Amino acid sequence: MSRAREARAARRAAQFAKFRITELNLIPLVDTFVSIVFFALTTSTVGELTPIVSGISLPESRVGAVAHQQLTLGITNTSVRLGDHVIMGIGQAASAQSTIPNQPLVIPQLYTALKATADSIRKEKKLRPDQSVETPLAIQGDKALRYNLMSRMIQTARYAGFRTLSLQVTRTEGGAPSGTGN
Amino acid sequence: MTAHGNINLVPLVDILTSIVFFSLLTYTGATLAALTAFDLSLPPTVVSAPSAVRNDQKLLNLLLAVRIDADKLQVEHSEGMRQQIAGLGPQSMDQLEALMKQVRARYPQNADVLVVPTDEVSYDDVIHVLERLKLVGYRGISLGTRARGEALIPAARLTAAGGAR
Repeated sequence: MSRAREARAARRAAQFAKFRITELNLIPLVDTFVSIVFFALTTSTVGELTPIVSGISLPESRVGAVAHQQLTLGITNTSVRLGDHVIMGIGQAASAQSTIPNQPLVIPQLYTALKATADSIRKEKKLRPDQSVETPLAIQGDKALRYNLMSRMIQTARYAGFRTLSLQVTRTEGGAPSGTGN
Repeated sequence: MTAHGNINLVPLVDILTSIVFFSLLTYTGATLAALTAFDLSLPPTVVSAPSAVRNDQKLLNLLLAVRIDADKLQVEHSEGMRQQIAGLGPQSMDQLEALMKQVRARYPQNADVLVVPTDEVSYDDVIHVLERLKLVGYRGISLGTRARGEALIPAARLTAAGGAR
């Protein structure tokens, strides 16, 4: 081989040397996969979970539809809450007298709050003022509640314009169906 | 790998720090739990008691009702059956489930039942009865309320939704 050819080969080798992959750093790739797996596992669990109104002890059931996170009416032993706002005390709700003719079960203060919420939904969805709202209202009631109060809540929500209610309870897996010890 | 052959954990720690940061940022303080729902589909407009009863009589081919009292359950239907079950405990619920299975087998075309709790019954007991009825296979469960001094009003109708069928 001539000296010129050797020099040309050396120059070419030097040019391509900078493109040579010396090592493949897999660490960022592994880190990214770790993050993806972490979030996939977290969201697959959290996706089935729904927030519970604080201070509430829900009844338990093995069956029922999937509970979704939605506008929630929480009825604890001490208060009635719509979303994050406390509407009234539970004693106040139980003793409230309806001011609406032919609707003896309606709780006025709760009705006002629910009506305002329903009206804002109607406005957003451009519905008529007398039209029922399709947006579901979840009810989380303490298991110690008496049904007469619960029925008043249901009637009030219905009269305020909520057509779809959902009684949310704690889901139990397997085992014997729950029941009280009375 | 570094030049000395050790694993470089710094990027991993960076990412885990980011995860912790965003987890703390998005923490709302709300307790999360696996919930299940009994969906109620209410009539679109408020109806008076007599028309509500008439409408339901048209809809149901067999009028089947479960009354929940403070100390007993009572199952009755329009074909003349009336049976009481003492108590509201697990054994009573088992008896209710067995009885409702019999009724369901005898009248397979009817998947509707009206549940009427009295005022003093706890919400927990109402849910237990709804649970047993769902387990038997009743899809159209109406939750009734007894208005003060009036006849029974079917107030809310449970739809056949999700895994409760």
